[in-house]
Amino acid sequence: MLILLYNECFKTFAKWRTYIGFIAVAILIPVVMVLMHLEGSRFVERQMRALSADFFITGNLFNGWLIAQIIMNGLWVHVPALISLVAGDQLSGEATGGTFRLILIRPVSRITILNAKYLVTLFYTKLLVLSIALLSLGLGLWIFGSGDLVAFDRDMVTIIPESQLWLRFLLAYALAIVSMWTVASLAFFISSLVENAIGPIITTMTIIIIFFIISNLPIDAVEPFKPWLFTTYMNVWQQAFKDPIDWIEIARSCGALCAYSVCLWSATVLVFRNKDIVT
Amino acid sequence: MANDVVLRTENLGKKFGHRWAANDINLEVRRGDVFGFLGPNGAGKSTTIRMILSLIAPTTGTVELFGHSLLKKRELALANVAGIVEKPDFYLYLSAYHNMQIAGSLTLGSNPPKTRVLEELKLVGLADRAYDKVKTFSHGMKQRLGIAQALLCSPDLILLDEPTNGLDPQGMKEVRDLIRVLTRERGITVFLSSHLLNEVEQVATRMAIINNGTMIVQGSVEELLKAQANRLVLHVQPVETAAAVIGRIAPNVSLQITHNTISLSVDTAMIPAMITAIAAEGCSIFSVEPKHSLEEYFLTVTETN
Repeated sequence: MLILLYNECFKTFAKWRTYIGFIAVAILIPVVMVLMHLEGSRFVERQMRALSADFFITGNLFNGWLIAQIIMNGLWVHVPALISLVAGDQLSGEATGGTFRLILIRPVSRITILNAKYLVTLFYTKLLVLSIALLSLGLGLWIFGSGDLVAFDRDMVTIIPESQLWLRFLLAYALAIVSMWTVASLAFFISSLVENAIGPIITTMTIIIIFFIISNLPIDAVEPFKPWLFTTYMNVWQQAFKDPIDWIEIARSCGALCAYSVCLWSATVLVFRNKDIVT
Repeated sequence: MANDVVLRTENLGKKFGHRWAANDINLEVRRGDVFGFLGPNGAGKSTTIRMILSLIAPTTGTVELFGHSLLKKRELALANVAGIVEKPDFYLYLSAYHNMQIAGSLTLGSNPPKTRVLEELKLVGLADRAYDKVKTFSHGMKQRLGIAQALLCSPDLILLDEPTNGLDPQGMKEVRDLIRVLTRERGITVFLSSHLLNEVEQVATRMAIINNGTMIVQGSVEELLKAQANRLVLHVQPVETAAAVIGRIAPNVSLQITHNTISLSVDTAMIPAMITAIAAEGCSIFSVEPKHSLEEYFLTVTETN
């Protein structure tokens, strides 16, 4: 298994497309930082205007923590696309390239090969989220400095003391990884169904957008469906910035996301084990 | 040992939708064979090879490799088997060396030693391109790389599906020579699928012919060719006199006469007497060509089928 993991890692990270996600993050985050540097203080003033009438607020509220949290909100729509770019290519890329004929005639079970690919996909997803974390927190704290975090959540504002923020962000990124693993599992599953790499990317994004819209529709008719859509739980990372943290909600959301991932992985196993390689 | 069966298929068949791509295929490949698997394009050769290599699940029948059932003990069955199915495809963005490493490690369970990889690349004439990306390789080079990766794990059986497809005459000769080296020097059994009859005739010891998904015949190349009627082509002058002599000696034989050649099928025992009689009539005999070719045989059996 170790050699298979090494092979799959080597193959994945030797491809140019694997770095598109990292390049996008490396460009986007500094751009957001610059824009926030130019315009950001006005954003905080606008958000705090109502509060400043009743409260006396001191200290650096427009800081690196706030920027990192804003970036998490902003980038979260685009990260699934970057993930499906790699996850969606894991199986369909081999079919397109004809390389299934090279690897699936070996005395290694298909499930072992599939598992190695899946683990590398999860590893890539984790790496991408961590690169977002590293860049947004690193650059943010370096440029804007530290301080307490003013977490805006719809019509509620939570002020989290600086001393708690490392752990809060650690939790937020860990939960973000869990939710992005579900996206990766979806793209990976679709990748087992088709023989070109574009299909899984488009299909994954279409499913996410449709589910996302349904999850956020304030209509009674769609309420019964919402618990069954993984997009309902994708914002679980925001729980890390609530006070107090709702651990039950976190466990419920993580459970739902993990169940989704396990189901998608099982479906991929079923499809891939019986797949006729005719390309 | 010589008669050990390394590959056996029983009633092997694959149905796509309502069409049987291969049906009731019963093959028996023995250790040391160069086994020619012949058939026209679309006959079901590649489907059969894909089933043998577990790329396609059979609809009916079984595959046994080295005595192990492919369905029940896949890892054991494929442990000593390598193959190239249709065209050899590789990770184009990786070097030949890394492609070899990936393919080799899947069989060996660890990365093959560098010297071993380079040794095989040298055998196929690619040692100097070992670290070049495969996307810069020509079709012929990829074909040779395919053979090198197949050899890397010292298999006892190699399945080659149309290995000379797309190669120039020089490349085709190189592959044929390589097949001879594999069997003679390394003792590898070769299963060679092709629609190029000349290719199989030159290297195969045993063969099977498949047409429309069904196996027509299987056996030793020599015996199968001997079994067909002896076909002769005589280059003779004057052709009318010679034809009259043949008609006298063998009145039931049908002749095809063109310009100064006579084609006929005749019992081997009659040939010396017939030639002597033609010469005695004062005819000039320029050549007598026996037609035992695989091509003739193949066309006969596939057309009959």
